[in-house]
Amino acid sequence: MQATETLQQTGIISELYERFGEDCFKVQACADGIATLWVDKDKLHYVLRYLKPKFPMLHDLFGIDERVRENRSDQPAADFTVVYHLLSFSRNEDVRIKVALVEPDIQVPTIVDIWPNANWYEREAWDMFGIDFSGHPNLYRILMPPTWEGHPLRKDHPARATEMEPFSLDQDKQDREQEALRFRPEQWGMEQKTDDTEYMFLNLGPNHPSVHGVFRIALQLDGEIVVDAVPDIGYHHRGAEKMGERQTWHSYIPYTDRIDYLGGVMNNLAYVMSVEKLAGIQVPDRAKVIRIMMSELFRISSHLVFYGTFVQDVGQMSPVFYMFADRERLFGIVEAITGGRMHPAWFRIGGVAQDLPIGWEKMVRDFIDAMPARLDHYDKMAMQNKILKNRAVDIGRYTQAEAIDWGITGPGLRATGMDWDLRRDRPYGGYDQFDFEVPVGNNGDSYDRAEVRIEEIRQSLRIIRQCLDNMPEGPYKSDHRLTTPPPKERTMQDIETLIHHFLNVSWGPVIPAGEATQLIEATKGHNSYHLVSDGGTMSYRTRIRTPSFPHLQQIPLISSGLMIADLITIIASIDFVMADVDR
Amino acid sequence: MKWSLTRPDEVIASSANTNRLNDDGAVITNDPIEDHVRRNVCFAKLEDLIAWGRGHSLWPFNFGLSCCYVEMATSFTSRHDIARFGSEVIRATPRQADLMVISGTCFLKMAPVVQRLYEQLLEPRWIISMGSCANSGGMYDIYSVVQGVDKFIPVDVYVPGCPPRPEALMQGLVMLQESIGKERRPLSWTADDQTVVKPAPISQRDLLTEERMKTTELRDPKDV
Repeated sequence: MQATETLQQTGIISELYERFGEDCFKVQACADGIATLWVDKDKLHYVLRYLKPKFPMLHDLFGIDERVRENRSDQPAADFTVVYHLLSFSRNEDVRIKVALVEPDIQVPTIVDIWPNANWYEREAWDMFGIDFSGHPNLYRILMPPTWEGHPLRKDHPARATEMEPFSLDQDKQDREQEALRFRPEQWGMEQKTDDTEYMFLNLGPNHPSVHGVFRIALQLDGEIVVDAVPDIGYHHRGAEKMGERQTWHSYIPYTDRIDYLGGVMNNLAYVMSVEKLAGIQVPDRAKVIRIMMSELFRISSHLVFYGTFVQDVGQMSPVFYMFADRERLFGIVEAITGGRMHPAWFRIGGVAQDLPIGWEKMVRDFIDAMPARLDHYDKMAMQNKILKNRAVDIGRYTQAEAIDWGITGPGLRATGMDWDLRRDRPYGGYDQFDFEVPVGNNGDSYDRAEVRIEEIRQSLRIIRQCLDNMPEGPYKSDHRLTTPPPKERTMQDIETLIHHFLNVSWGPVIPAGEATQLIEATKGHNSYHLVSDGGTMSYRTRIRTPSFPHLQQIPLISSGLMIADLITIIASIDFVMADVDR
Repeated sequence: MKWSLTRPDEVIASSANTNRLNDDGAVITNDPIEDHVRRNVCFAKLEDLIAWGRGHSLWPFNFGLSCCYVEMATSFTSRHDIARFGSEVIRATPRQADLMVISGTCFLKMAPVVQRLYEQLLEPRWIISMGSCANSGGMYDIYSVVQGVDKFIPVDVYVPGCPPRPEALMQGLVMLQESIGKERRPLSWTADDQTVVKPAPISQRDLLTEERMKTTELRDPKDV
């Protein structure tokens, strides 16, 4: 009932009631307390237009297949739902608008005219669910191959590859698939030539050393100048959202590690905190601080990879060796604490996997003592380098308003001068206890994006030092009954605990029905998991909002008019990994 | 380098007695010229020599799919330094490379692209499958993932792990080099019959099970 209280406080509901009348909406209570309103599809446009000045960022847009969901008596009848998650910085508040669609009419008007970044989100919802967004300029598949049939996130679509026809690739199929991947400029409304120039179309990727993974971008070129570009994604689609519907709440944790694969346990954090919201678990202080320390270590690790590859992409060959050497030192700590390197899957629902090992303090202290001097060194070596400055300053520039319009978050947003960090402005998981600055740029160009990240490394070191000096004593796991795996100590003492332990470990915990989202400030921007529980041992719908997805969508806007070499700088300065885009 | 000064009469005296051995069991000749020849001339069958040379001059293709590629890139950098194994000439185009490490998940949408790149690799060419996804699909038994890259291209070495450590990749590389050293290929496309004989793949599990079973105590994770 805490949820309803929060709802009344937010006030956006009463504002909407006042403007459109109470009959237009149906309010749904969610475990995360975010105002959630169902709107009729023909009023959707009016409502969203009204909300845009108040909630300027379209944070997420996704579908839900509601056809086999049992616990939804508080919601309007729907076969499919489209969810619009809007975010306001000035009010520091979110609102969720939902539209119910009933078969056979699963169609909803596009909102590309209101938020430009809706373009990809709507294409994704079409690809995954077959939801038709009428009026969308190019409603093609985005994640699946163009030759694909069916919509994978529908409940009647098979999840496993082993349930489907075994994969084979003969010459015919190879030719067909290659032909389907061919870039056709006219499909994207591009002219082949004008009166005074004939354009060249260049395919970059999906395998190219400078595109940071399996990312493809087709360029329309006038000489060496990029006129327009069409990013093509989906080469890294691992079906992580569908995976959530077949793994238990607990056994899904390793899959989250592999979303932003440079972010390690940072991914676990967004996921387990959403589950904890659904389950109502309070995490003990020690677990909170351990989580923050590990997350910040991974933020440093991810930013170091960015730092090295960014300066390498603009032409400096050696710095990357220094940054990777530091990363190895950092992985020494991660390995000592978690036993893993890149994907420790170490956070648990209600805490962490195990307590910190004896001797961790020295390792962490050695690392954070050594880093600042190294960063100074790198600054001289890389960031103060004249060539690097020439190549990065004023390249790939966008304004704050553009950033918000396109859903840019994290260092990419802060580089435009926006003073916004979820860790400080919406402290989660214990961040309110820490003292740190939020570095902000002012130009919004590639150089500023790099500067912001590098300063963030220093701030993360500061947070880790505070963790080190003030690590609380106590349990590393909550004693809530849904904590997984549950505490083992008492299992041999009484039968109730034994039964609970057995069920929670074998079948996994049963998380109460409901919906919850937890936003976190991940290494690359806002990351959130919208989890829908139908009161089972598995999630009914797992929606992963990743920062890199909207970041890539914006590339054509910021690279047009620049040279191809500048595009490489821009791609490096965005700092994305494809698993974070395609999931 | 070891060296010694020899008087002419000593050479004559020692030539009668060639069976003196040094600490390593090698024959001591005391003749610097003979010594030099011993160190620098070796006799081998031509095909052995070429196979040995092939194995130690692999040019890997700069290709990566997902998380595993980050660990592969780590193996290029200072701590691990794959150059120690003669495999640092990373090529940006498949046409200049003969080794492709499939580092990461082989996605359905990516498979035709991987196939095209494989076809563009120079022959003779070798494939290392790095990580569980490339080996078998791994934890991704899901609609968009090919269940192992060997469903459409032949694999020479499988490196397990999710992702494998850089050391594991380097072990895979050394195993591949050894295996190439034992391969029998035609010396040219005109001479010899054109069959390629590869040594039978060795299962590390079979090889190491006995050794591993001897472990009775594991390190306590309570300490760093």
